[in-house]
Amino acid sequence: MTPIQTPSQVFDAVQSAKAGAPAFCTNFFPVESKLRGWIDHGELFAELRNGATFFFRKDRDFLRLYFCAADVAALQREMVARPCVQTERVITDLVGKGPALDDLASAIESAGFRRHTLLQRLVRAAGPESAADGPPVGFAEKADSQAVLRLIESLFDHYGEQLPTLYEIESAVASRQILAARSNGKLAGVLFFETQGLASTIRFWAVAETFRDLKTGSALMRQYLKIHDAVRRFTLWVNANNENAIRKYRHFGYAPDGLIDRVLARGLIPT
Amino acid sequence: MKSVIEILKEIRPEFDFAASSDFIADGMLDSFDMVTLVSALDKNWGISIQGTDIVPENFQNLQTIEALLRKNGARL
Repeated sequence: MTPIQTPSQVFDAVQSAKAGAPAFCTNFFPVESKLRGWIDHGELFAELRNGATFFFRKDRDFLRLYFCAADVAALQREMVARPCVQTERVITDLVGKGPALDDLASAIESAGFRRHTLLQRLVRAAGPESAADGPPVGFAEKADSQAVLRLIESLFDHYGEQLPTLYEIESAVASRQILAARSNGKLAGVLFFETQGLASTIRFWAVAETFRDLKTGSALMRQYLKIHDAVRRFTLWVNANNENAIRKYRHFGYAPDGLIDRVLARGLIPT
Repeated sequence: MKSVIEILKEIRPEFDFAASSDFIADGMLDSFDMVTLVSALDKNWGISIQGTDIVPENFQNLQTIEALLRKNGARL
């Protein structure tokens, strides 16, 4: 694997897999600002194969695999031939609408991957929201970063859901992308979001166990919607088995749009 | 045959595409929407948009999408 030094190396590698590939397939939709963070922290590696390019992002105790391939056959052939994929702990995922993912999923499963979890996308159109109650909510501060990370890591599956690193949280705090609810000076809950123009995505909505049933989550969500009154489209990804979370999101007007994210794992990960 | 703006409206009915000059910066289309849009454009015009053309700059506004269609053989 070759360490990636610049975002342009990534785009060149993607282009090399795309060239002359009418059945091009990928799970890699890089955003330059995120790429820069991964590259600056030495987390991103690439390997160019015949008809396929693989990117590996080091994340905690595993590698997250992204691929760009000329077609499904090239992907399958090169994945099976990759020693790293066969020996390391690796996670990858596929986004699309149900059956359309079956061929790709079969190719990846033939390299030893197994289904780990399923995420589904929920969307919400713009609409009025009632005033917030519950504990006070404001933007998280830099000193909260470690506590925000601990809270998110304690409540979410770091293999199945792409959890942020500490530096990503610090960056999000600086950009005012994390709302925090406090109670008696303690961090009771957070809502981590990313907004682009008229669209906003919730990355994590988390309430510490000791602050549940105190309207903490509701206060965070209402404040989030209040400060995004110009946004026309809200989205998020949620574990399809997390009925409790889905029920809460539905309460605030979110509903599935049919897009799913199949997370597949290879290695020493219980599935 | 549908127009580009009709197809966009089917994918993201909540947005006014005619009022935007940069669909990406305005958050109207994300990566997944682009894939859906390519499939709808292919079907509508009976073409096959090349994988190398599926990049954000080709989906910034109506003019760039129409240029992409012409490049891939669509008669607008």
